[in-house]
Amino acid sequence: MRISPDGTRRAGAAAVLAGSILASGVARAADDSGVKLPQLDIQTYPSQIFWLVVSFAVLYVLVSRVAVPRIFEVLEERQERIADDLDKAQTLQSEAAQAQADHEALLAEARARAAAAVREAQEAASRAGAEREEGARARVAEMVAEAERRIAASRAGALENIRDVASEAAVEAVARLIDSRPDEDAVTRAIAAVAQDGRP
Amino acid sequence: MASPVEQFALKPLVPLHVGGVDLSFTNSSMWMAITVIGVTAFLTLSMRSGRLVPGRWQSMAEVSYEFIANMLRENVGSEGRGYFPFIFTLFLFILFGNLFGMIPYAYTFTSQIIVTFAMAITVFVGVTVIGLVRHGLHFFTLFVPSGTPLVMAPLLVPIEIISYFVRPVSLSVRLFANMMAGHTMMKVFGGFAVLMGVLGVAPVALLVALTGFEILVAFLQAYVFTVLTCLYLHDAIHLH
Repeated sequence: MRISPDGTRRAGAAAVLAGSILASGVARAADDSGVKLPQLDIQTYPSQIFWLVVSFAVLYVLVSRVAVPRIFEVLEERQERIADDLDKAQTLQSEAAQAQADHEALLAEARARAAAAVREAQEAASRAGAEREEGARARVAEMVAEAERRIAASRAGALENIRDVASEAAVEAVARLIDSRPDEDAVTRAIAAVAQDGRP
Repeated sequence: MASPVEQFALKPLVPLHVGGVDLSFTNSSMWMAITVIGVTAFLTLSMRSGRLVPGRWQSMAEVSYEFIANMLRENVGSEGRGYFPFIFTLFLFILFGNLFGMIPYAYTFTSQIIVTFAMAITVFVGVTVIGLVRHGLHFFTLFVPSGTPLVMAPLLVPIEIISYFVRPVSLSVRLFANMMAGHTMMKVFGGFAVLMGVLGVAPVALLVALTGFEILVAFLQAYVFTVLTCLYLHDAIHLH
């Protein structure tokens, strides 16, 4: 056997094995004078090279023309599909983010509007309350004034009556006392003067 | 018991001679054809429905596509995009060749040094041409690591040149040796199992573990071959 140093340990192991076979005398056929390595038979080389070239060329054509384009196509398709799906996922994600942002903006707006409405309602209510209070106060004041006016009028009326009664009584009293009727106008004036001096 | 390396023998299935050259369709050629059909079926049937949410098979096809696409992007950059079909084909061809080789009685064409070397030299020549077309004579600065003192150049340049030209050899031998050693080892343990009778349980158990290990190696070596191709491509495009 002719094996170069490159033949590694395994070739060496084979050699050792062959040696052991010889030593034990088990393999008579392995007698080194009788063994010819078929690999070194130059007669077989043309056929081997010829069929190697033929089969390798056929395989090369089949692999490069049929197999590789097909595998490439399938892998490409998958790559595209994955990229596509990733793109789609990205788009959907950004859309979802956009939707969320929109939703949040809407929510914030609604909240602000609600707060504004509440504030407005509160203001309106307090304004209306104030107005109502004002009105009520005015009405009460009016009523009070009216009542005062009525009281004043009735007091004036009463005073007038009292004056008349007083002048009549004075006239009657004078007539009884001195049996002469005094001038009614004079009595009234006198009484009025007295009333003017004193409390009305 | 048959020799552990007898499994690597080529058996012509359809004899074919063109101009005195033997181009027979052999068991190796058959498994190359099966690999071509297997890879094509794996990539096309799984993607037929092209579902948005992939099933198991579609996931595997997509994962392998993206695995190589990422490898190319990380190691070469965006300039490497045009080479994706080639790198992808290379990876799947080696991977399925390795994996189909794990089927009992199948033939592992990646255990043939000429096959791995043909692939490696194709990568090597292709990468060199790409570098020369892209950079012209400037391409040869690849052999002068940046920051090399002029005094060291006579020492470093030959080393760089040798390491550059060893690339196809290391690339091909790594894959070939791993596959061959693995399959030889499995054959040896299989032989033990047969010879040891009842005690053969032990080598069978080891064989089970080894099978799992070989499946790992099938993935690993396909990965290593592809990632190194990407690194060479990077060197050609970016010159370090």
